[in-house]
Amino acid sequence: MKLLAIETATPASSVAIGEDDRLLGMSVNVDRRGHVGFLMPAIDFVMSRVGWQPRDIDIVAVDVGPGPYTGLRAGIATAQAFAAAIGAPMVTMSSLTVIALRAATGRRRIWPVVDMRRGQFAVAPFQPLPGGVAPDGAPEVVNPYDFKALLESEGQDALVVGDWHVMPEEARRGLHRVRWGRPRYPSAETMLEIASMRANKGNLTDADDVRPMYMREPDVDINWTAFRSEGAWPE
Amino acid sequence: MSGPLVLGIETSCDETGVAVLEGMSVRSSVLASQVEMHERFGGVVPEVAARAHVEAIRPLAHQALTNAGIHPDQLDAVAVTRGPGLVGALMVGFAFGKSLAYSLGVPVFGIDHMEGHLMAPRLSFDEYEPPAVVILASGGHSQIVHVKGWGDYEVLGGTIDDAAGEAFDKLARFMGLGYPGGPAIDRDSTEGDPTAVDFPRALKDRPFDFSFSGLKTSVVTYLEKAKDEGTLPERADVSASIQEAIVDVLVEKTFNAVEATGVERVGGGGGVLANRRLRERFAEEADRRGVGLFIPETSLCTDNGAMIAGVAVDRLNAGHEGDDLRGDVDPGLRLGA
Repeated sequence: MKLLAIETATPASSVAIGEDDRLLGMSVNVDRRGHVGFLMPAIDFVMSRVGWQPRDIDIVAVDVGPGPYTGLRAGIATAQAFAAAIGAPMVTMSSLTVIALRAATGRRRIWPVVDMRRGQFAVAPFQPLPGGVAPDGAPEVVNPYDFKALLESEGQDALVVGDWHVMPEEARRGLHRVRWGRPRYPSAETMLEIASMRANKGNLTDADDVRPMYMREPDVDINWTAFRSEGAWPE
Repeated sequence: MSGPLVLGIETSCDETGVAVLEGMSVRSSVLASQVEMHERFGGVVPEVAARAHVEAIRPLAHQALTNAGIHPDQLDAVAVTRGPGLVGALMVGFAFGKSLAYSLGVPVFGIDHMEGHLMAPRLSFDEYEPPAVVILASGGHSQIVHVKGWGDYEVLGGTIDDAAGEAFDKLARFMGLGYPGGPAIDRDSTEGDPTAVDFPRALKDRPFDFSFSGLKTSVVTYLEKAKDEGTLPERADVSASIQEAIVDVLVEKTFNAVEATGVERVGGGGGVLANRRLRERFAEEADRRGVGLFIPETSLCTDNGAMIAGVAVDRLNAGHEGDDLRGDVDPGLRLGA
């Protein structure tokens, strides 16, 4: 089974190709805004290095977030078009799962965080399992101080991974049962592992049904003056 | 009719458009309009637009191909808007188009949305060709362009503040007429007297430029005063007078450019060109001056995928091979710059 994985949920976009869960090629770029310029040349590069044509791909995997929306949508649109053009099914996954899977701990509760900008972060708890992780609660969007309070109230050993570096230091201080670790960003390499597992279980998604995981209502920034003459004419 | 089969994708603002052209003839053109989503805000909300595009693009591309009766493998190229427009909205179509082209092994063309509007009349009229003067007027842009050749454009003038469509939107909103403002004022004007109120026509001394912010202020001041004094006219009369002021300016400045360049063809594109009074006045003026008028049907004036594909067809016919895969969107792209 030949897989293509596309990751654009954070400033680190990456693409990877692999045979089952074996990585054959990968390209990474860290740039908040460069997703669209990066993706296609990167896919072309890794594919041509192993001599694959687009039609050789059996499964297209994509990270559906949470993460900043513009990059997320660029990855999803790229993956959808690719899958649709060659008639391949897709596998979707959450950025939080992709980060959590690489957290190195045998017993601590894992809290991956993704920077959603404007001082907000997507977080979710995971339990370490032998050879993997299991979600242990629903993802939510919080500010760093709410997150601190959350970790304090949990009262258990935790490992925070992901983009916690962006949180103010004050929000991270004094949490004695918390360790702050890696990875910082999700990676398309990890995605291959998850995708081949899900594909083997038949956990596939049609390209039309792939949606970003937004977790926030859209910002509405139109604010024109209210109409002072409203109601001037009787209906 | 024959020629290359090109899929065109447009996602620069609030319409997801996908079309298939065979040469300059439209095989299919489908649209997912977001007007209702933006209605309650009285304008296009960028994040709402981007969310709608990503949901619509895949099914719409499928529908365009199905309606055209072709398999994706038959496509010769993919064309996609790369600017100007809302960055998040552009990104969806651009990423989709590039990936689709790559996966099918065909070239991709990143297209200037405004050039798409310049090209649109070609899809309706065989006789439309350079040199021509074209008025482009929509919610985001208002420009008068001298089309010297395909790909050779000079912007002669345009709005110095609000776009024409923006003026319609804001004034319709002020009058409680709803969104989008252009069609609302057009409808409301039907029974109105365009000479009821003499709103100002700005920038008399600049032949190809226009300004709509003065009109906006003038309408607001007029209405508030009339309301206070109890001399408020029929709403339809105010609508018709506003419309006439905008139409007057667009027609006059466009034909100033026709005169100055000596061209014998006038074209038009953009959502504002769907306005019935504007089309009527353009037709009268073109007729009076004996120049050819090339304003396509409304569905080709408003945003659509066909006009984007049209530019790529022109490029293919001229021997161009498409863009580099590294290309990115350019929200601030400017025609002729």
